[in-house]
Amino acid sequence: MTPKVCLVMREFSSFNRAWTQILRNLGIDYTMCVTTGSATGASIQTPQGVFAAGSADLRNYFRQFDAVILCDNTGNLALTSLINYSVFWLRWNDTEDPAFLFFNPHFSAAITDSGYNSNFPSDFPIVRPNPSDIAGTLYPADGGSAGSTSPLVAAGTAGRGACVLFLAENIRAHVMTICNTHTNNIPYYWRLDTAKHSALANAAYTHRVARNGRAGEILAVPAPPTSSEDTETYPSDCVVAYRYRNIFWLPHAMHRRQDAADDRNPFLFWLLYGLQLAGVRPRYKLPVQIETDHPLQAVGTGAPFNHAITTQMGILEASWDWMRDFARRKNTAIVNGLVVGTKYRLTGTVYHWHLLYSTSRTQAERDAAMRVHQILVAGHREGTTPCGVHDHTIGTNGYWGGSTAAGFVRHSGLRYGAPNDVPIARGNSCVAPHVLPAGVAGADAQTVQVGDTELVEWDIPTSGTGTTFDLPAGSVHAARIIIESEIEEMLALGFPDGYCAGHKYTNTAANNSGGECYWQALKEFGFRGVRSAPECNAPYRTKRVTPNRYWNGFHLVPPKNLDNVDDSYSWGLYYPGAPAERHAVGTYRLDHGGDISANWTTQPVAAWRAYRRVLCQLTSRWLSTTAVALGGAYFHPIHCLMPVSPSRVLERFDGWNILNAANQPHYNHPVELLENMDAVVRLLPDVLYWGTITDVMDHRERVMG
Amino acid sequence: MPVRFLRNASELADVSWETPLPVQVTNARPVPADTLLVATTTVTDANRDLLGSTATELPTLDGCMQYRKLVWFYFRSGAAATTYRVLARATDHNGAPLGAGWITLATGTLPGEANTWGRIEIPASGDGYYDQYRIEVWRTAGSNYDLTSKIVGVR
Repeated sequence: MTPKVCLVMREFSSFNRAWTQILRNLGIDYTMCVTTGSATGASIQTPQGVFAAGSADLRNYFRQFDAVILCDNTGNLALTSLINYSVFWLRWNDTEDPAFLFFNPHFSAAITDSGYNSNFPSDFPIVRPNPSDIAGTLYPADGGSAGSTSPLVAAGTAGRGACVLFLAENIRAHVMTICNTHTNNIPYYWRLDTAKHSALANAAYTHRVARNGRAGEILAVPAPPTSSEDTETYPSDCVVAYRYRNIFWLPHAMHRRQDAADDRNPFLFWLLYGLQLAGVRPRYKLPVQIETDHPLQAVGTGAPFNHAITTQMGILEASWDWMRDFARRKNTAIVNGLVVGTKYRLTGTVYHWHLLYSTSRTQAERDAAMRVHQILVAGHREGTTPCGVHDHTIGTNGYWGGSTAAGFVRHSGLRYGAPNDVPIARGNSCVAPHVLPAGVAGADAQTVQVGDTELVEWDIPTSGTGTTFDLPAGSVHAARIIIESEIEEMLALGFPDGYCAGHKYTNTAANNSGGECYWQALKEFGFRGVRSAPECNAPYRTKRVTPNRYWNGFHLVPPKNLDNVDDSYSWGLYYPGAPAERHAVGTYRLDHGGDISANWTTQPVAAWRAYRRVLCQLTSRWLSTTAVALGGAYFHPIHCLMPVSPSRVLERFDGWNILNAANQPHYNHPVELLENMDAVVRLLPDVLYWGTITDVMDHRERVMG
Repeated sequence: MPVRFLRNASELADVSWETPLPVQVTNARPVPADTLLVATTTVTDANRDLLGSTATELPTLDGCMQYRKLVWFYFRSGAAATTYRVLARATDHNGAPLGAGWITLATGTLPGEANTWGRIEIPASGDGYYDQYRIEVWRTAGSNYDLTSKIVGVR
């Protein structure tokens, strides 16, 4: 049976393309219907004709679908009309009728349309929001503070926090949740009419989506706190998701904007959950996977944490041991971009090679680093923590991050022996072989192929037999030299390859994949794809990736950063007086109206609020990357892990009950983030599964053509 | 009995909507254009072609009969006044020119100042379909400079 849904919208000018891109990625067929207005008298324009909103013809038309989805929403409860036409559908509850998915629906008491009010079911159990009596009809959510803009427009930042308890599944998860909002920019949850709900919950009802056989079901509520510090509680009649017969009343899922479908759709969990509730079984599940950059590295030993290098390595060792075990249990692979090039080209002592082998490090430091390294090597071989090359030593900006890598140092020795005299730049003369006049090419001529283009090159600048020279970055010759040296370093480090084992993939440094000549060289070395930003050789900025991110069978996977910091290493969820870019709340603009910063030292709930918002924001970024962009989300372990308690590294967040070395709340970013995403995966077994980057690339080929 | 095939070298898969038989499309190049030449030429006061040859019978490009037109893109690093000349001719089935010498398709002053781009269509109007082309440049004043060229053949 082919899954099929109907999307209903007022106009394409505010239609978010992510609706259809997600459905495409899931293999769900869809039909789009545009309404002629917002009132009850509006008609629905379908491919089979224009039907009145309350007509039997429309009802029969809808019956071919697994679900009907309403795409419109508003942040203004005073509107008198938005989806008034849909009121008739609340009564289409027969077994033949489809499920209806209402996300952040506008059913305000301000609606004056008599057709709406007279047809609104009298037994509907959620109190209609009243802009004149918000306190009596809604519950302020997430601390009740107002944002500077509508909370519905939150994208990659400015998210709101929520921990939701899903009753039937008995799972708690942090997912961005706003039931309704108003022009005051405060997020709200719904208030339940408990008498009406009780009647529905006791009424037998038969429909394929009524999993408990009752007419009413509370699907999700704000999760009760797990700590006495967390005083952000809600009354027992507060709900965030409800099933009324075959009608699903769900939180906000998608902002109304006409834009490219990208990973800036933080509420999409509710669309995925709604599809699953409605029994829309996708053709394809989406693989969930995570990547890290710089899996073994050190940072400064100064304030505020004053972690010695051995302490830092201990934090990494415990966390990597946990992550490797997590990957083993969940059948995923945590792909790592391992900093290479430092064996020959970079003298800093904080990178992978130097931590292991530099004599400027103490034996204890080297031993501590080696314990982390051995976890990575073992994980690479067993498939849980596969590692690939990640080179910041070519001008520090990855592939072709500058026009010339001055003083480039080649590898020497080991399996490659003494350096050969090899081409380092494009030949001065390059002619396609089929139009090359006989006798013209020089003695050093060689055939070079980049993608579909094959040229015979001669007059080629070469390296000589020295190990150090200035390397122009923009040629397949340079790419080959660079990648060869990176692979050599991976082998010297004890890895059997440099491309994440069977995944044949890596996370490029600075997300710079270089351009065609690097993609060609990577293919020659066996790579299937790399993570790459659209601007693939920033800051040099002469290249962009191909629009479909697929070049001659080579994947250019879009990146998404999930660090809990913007600059250097994190000082925690929040740190009083620190620059915004040094903590998660500042990085992601989560301090709404100062309700975290102003209360940090006086109200313990502020730390819990920060915790909720950070997890919601970053899980939503990850989920958007998974479901919309089919990309690669990643974080830098050492940059995220400094705020943990070094003696209780793997403890879960517990507010001010567990402190780190700076006497701030302990927070282990990888543990919290992966466990929260695992809760989401367990909530959505029809939609998500723990997979690998290979699954992501397979799926890209499946749905992107 | 389902039809099966070997997928990813080791996995036996049933032919289905999700796992179709692997096929390779041939001769399906969407753009009827090829990169024919990329070269950096030092422009001197001597008449040279883009590959640096002063042998006047030597073509810069050969076997070009399939191309309706060539497009010459260039970037010049110097402003010295430069004359260019585009020559062409046909060959027989052995590839031998029908006769000595060339048809002059275009000649003139190479447009542009130092560090500027240029684009010249060959021929400027109508179709080409010549077998051989020779593209020459030489400066008539000033100092030597580098001229970097790309020539695309359009079918």
